Amino acid sequence: MALNDYWQRLTRLDRGIVLALLTFCALVFVVLGLRSPGQSVQVRQNQGTVFNAPLAEDRSVELQGPLGVTRLEIANGKARIISSPCPYKVCIGMGEIHREGEIVACVPNRLLVQVIGQQGVEKENRYDLLSR
Amino acid sequence: MTSSAVDPARLAVERRRIFLALFSALAIALHTLEFLLPSPVPWFRLGIANILALMALFLFDGKAAWSVNMVRIVVASLFLGTFLSPRFFLSLSGGVLATAAMTTSRKLAGEKIGPVGVSVLGATGHAIGQLLCAWILLVRHDGLWYLLPFLLLLAIVGGVVNGFIADFLLEKLRKMPAFVKESADAVADE
Repeated sequence: MALNDYWQRLTRLDRGIVLALLTFCALVFVVLGLRSPGQSVQVRQNQGTVFNAPLAEDRSVELQGPLGVTRLEIANGKARIISSPCPYKVCIGMGEIHREGEIVACVPNRLLVQVIGQQGVEKENRYDLLSR
Repeated sequence: MTSSAVDPARLAVERRRIFLALFSALAIALHTLEFLLPSPVPWFRLGIANILALMALFLFDGKAAWSVNMVRIVVASLFLGTFLSPRFFLSLSGGVLATAAMTTSRKLAGEKIGPVGVSVLGATGHAIGQLLCAWILLVRHDGLWYLLPFLLLLAIVGGVVNGFIADFLLEKLRKMPAFVKESADAVADE
């Protein structure tokens, strides 16, 4: 009954907009979920790569950013940030990544953690050639 | 008899000025409050301050929504000490895109779109604006766009919640004598 009251407050266009956006989100999630697992983890900072390691080996690293040290952990073939000096801890909240192309970004600390596939480097070179 | 001496057009202008000042002040307070509140999910912000811009848009017009949001972003950043910092530009680009999405959708769809639809579109604009600014200013890497679906999903949730709050408040406010007249004027203008 109460829920129906909320539903009645929406115009037809309102419902359409919310539905369309939710569908778009769901589609993107499905597409992203279908990507194959990646091979290695790359950390970029200010255009340069500061760390690169295979996903298969468990390890923990300290990454230095403008705000301080961000800890990155690789365990069971997945990478995640376990501590960071940034104010909102968005990067920690983003959880684990292991699929090709998945990223975790700590924008305040200028760190971008990305999973790279087998052809990751090749793809990037091609992109650079095209764009320059 | 003295009340009839007041020019109704001038009265409407003054009323609008005063209500927009109140809306802006409330929006600044909410913006600051939300910044200070601990959030259960770290990066999840509802953007409750946008409710005031929504109400300005529905009670007055697009210009009113622009002024409430722009005043809020600049003044709140002065209060929080983030003025001209990267956070300010993130907030500004999000705010500009959100307000543009809200005013444009209202202008195009008119009465067919309600507060919830406008609010969701505004929240989407905010998410895209913030990501665009982060991409330009902070991390120039295309991988950043993989974050869009996560941000978009949170934006939709926040947008729907804000839209309903604005709808309830609008229902209450439109019953007030000041706004009964205001909406009658607005109809006459159209």
